[in-house]
Amino acid sequence: MKQKSVKSTATTPKNGVSRRKILQTAAQAATVGAIASGFPYRFNIVHGAESFRTIGLGVSVINEIQSKASKDIGHRIRGQALGYGAMFGKMLTQNTQYEVAEGYYNDMDVMWPNKVWQPIDTRRIKHWDQISNLAKTGKLTPGSQYGQGDAPFRQLWLDSNAKVTLNGPTRYVTMVPGWHNADSIGYNPDETGRVIDSWGDLMSDEFKGRVALLNIPQIGMMDATMAVEALGLYKFKDKGNMTRKEIDFVIDYLIKKKKAGHFRALWETFGQSVQLMTSGEVALESMWSPAVTAIRAEGVKCIFASPKEGMRGWHGGLAISAKVSGRKLDAVYEYINWWLDGWAGAFVARQGYYMSTYKRSKNYMSAAEWDFWYEGKPAATDLPDPFGTIIIKKGKIRDGGSYEQRFKKIALWNSVMDENSYLVKRWGEFKNA
Amino acid sequence: MDRPSPNFHPGLIGSAPQAPAPPKTGVGIIKRRRGTGVYVTWLVAPSTIWLILFLIVPLLSIIVFSFWQINDQNVMVPNFTLVNYAEYFHTEGFFDPSSDKFLTLSSNILTLWTTLRLTMEVMVICLLLAYPIAYFLAMQVKAFKWQLALFLMCMVPFWTSYLIRTVAWVPMLGRRGLVNKFLLWIGIVEKPLGFLLYSEFSLTLALVQLYVVLCIGPIFFSLAKIDNSILEAARDMGAKPYQIFREIILPLSLPGVAIGMIFIWVMIMGEFATAGLVGGGKMALVGNSIIDLMGTGQYPPASSIALMLMLTMMIGVFIILKLVDIRKQL
Repeated sequence: MKQKSVKSTATTPKNGVSRRKILQTAAQAATVGAIASGFPYRFNIVHGAESFRTIGLGVSVINEIQSKASKDIGHRIRGQALGYGAMFGKMLTQNTQYEVAEGYYNDMDVMWPNKVWQPIDTRRIKHWDQISNLAKTGKLTPGSQYGQGDAPFRQLWLDSNAKVTLNGPTRYVTMVPGWHNADSIGYNPDETGRVIDSWGDLMSDEFKGRVALLNIPQIGMMDATMAVEALGLYKFKDKGNMTRKEIDFVIDYLIKKKKAGHFRALWETFGQSVQLMTSGEVALESMWSPAVTAIRAEGVKCIFASPKEGMRGWHGGLAISAKVSGRKLDAVYEYINWWLDGWAGAFVARQGYYMSTYKRSKNYMSAAEWDFWYEGKPAATDLPDPFGTIIIKKGKIRDGGSYEQRFKKIALWNSVMDENSYLVKRWGEFKNA
Repeated sequence: MDRPSPNFHPGLIGSAPQAPAPPKTGVGIIKRRRGTGVYVTWLVAPSTIWLILFLIVPLLSIIVFSFWQINDQNVMVPNFTLVNYAEYFHTEGFFDPSSDKFLTLSSNILTLWTTLRLTMEVMVICLLLAYPIAYFLAMQVKAFKWQLALFLMCMVPFWTSYLIRTVAWVPMLGRRGLVNKFLLWIGIVEKPLGFLLYSEFSLTLALVQLYVVLCIGPIFFSLAKIDNSILEAARDMGAKPYQIFREIILPLSLPGVAIGMIFIWVMIMGEFATAGLVGGGKMALVGNSIIDLMGTGQYPPASSIALMLMLTMMIGVFIILKLVDIRKQL
């Protein structure tokens, strides 16, 4: 399956990697099978060394990361990168098959009540105080606005009964905040002929037949809802948890648009979204930010829009399986502490993702890297991706501005709504219209 | 060592009656039977274990899950509820004349219908394409080596992966694809044709290309099996070519047609990936609905949809087998 990946499962491609990458990503999505990573170095059996497994998306489970962690902390860590559907299923139903889950807060409504993960003691997290307020309070800076939906701070804190609570901070948490990013619309300025600065542009008649939406019901619905609200067609109470009536309004609107031939395609995988833009099929589409780099690598113009309504955010982190205890648990805590230490944060930053302990990442990044990825300044020198290939030419500026600009105005966080199964059903109707 | 005669294959269901009569001495009978019994047990054990582990157990668990329930906490709880099946057929406002959903079938049934319609279309096109090709190969090409060579050529696309065969349609049919470029060049169209890709047209085309070989093969084999002397006899008796076709060739090739139909039926009813890649995700097939539900851990409704799909598929196979008695005609 073809499986789906809610967050980009692909890493930022190197220059000149085009079709192979698309196929790879599609294949990744199409296979339930996953790649267990082997390590290139010889592991020394140290006294007290443990061995454990971590699963997640290709965003955080990358050979280089787990292999570096193994070296640094002296435990043998095996990573398994999966497509979103496979990851979700394995996390939910096979918590004996992993020790660490590199999961996402929008899945917490399903994972936590199913008791597949265990509460994490923040006193054992060395750099807990350095995790930014975005995850802890929902406000990166004092002047930031709360986003609707499953923002990490709504899915983070646990009360004394180990239930998710909004009354943080507490001692125990569901998952340690990690990497995150915000998505919006990608567009080709030559095709649109103007700047795209609102989610409403996704539904604009001037682009009829040249628009693509994300075909994952939960997220595609959010993008469509942002557009409907931006156009002033409907005022939603909570876009992160819509009522049936609200879902009906958006789906009926989408069906009307679809019948009029508004949508060129609905995409499911990262690779498809890249290919839709590079082949000139669409002028604008809902997009994940690494896709922009991939499209530009093919020589096609692409801009990542900063909608005035705000972007749609998502946040990942590290959770521990309920089955882990004893020395293995200690080892897992060491791994989580290692993630927060900064090296890994710097690694994912070079792919465009942000880290909860970003001030620690700074120690592992050059000044030029920090200024480009976090401050939104022009690149002072050519900059590499995590694997050393130059992907950013000197003088380039990252779309969407600085980290703060981007994250102080998140309109909506990826969410699973209470009416999820109704939404999925109605999304099917939209596709069949 | 006690060993059955070479033309006796105890593992093959249905071939037991062909077993040579056992030797008449009493000792021999017992010995032979015991030996064969152990032999058979060992032969069927791996496949039986395989089927139990990877077919029966998963199937039973799907059936069980389809009666379970997701509670308000998103936890799957063991239960015996028909809620998933009720939801399958349920449309809000079905009985309410003032609702715009009045007497509208549920979206699950509509999805099943879309899948069914697409499968039928692809099946008909595949048969219309495959039969003449198979007929040409089996009847018109006389030399065996050419038959084989041409048949292998039909198989060539299968040597590349599914993904490549599918994705290759995109640069072919896209807005800037080969077909559109050609049409623009000869001046038939002024603007690239959008319907060529990410449409029901492209999806049907890709599915036909992907699966037509599954039709050509069985039809070819059943045509090739027709004894030439029967056709000669018919000609000698003064039968006209269309009579020979209608009364001899067509009936004798029906098992191949039926097997081809079953292949297409089973493959496309369960199809989901192509719909995303060349259909642009704009058509929902049953497979896609199941994946959408699985993606958020909604296993019970996904199970009930899977079972309804399987039921439909079984009914389809049953109907095809009713129309053509494969066993008798083979």
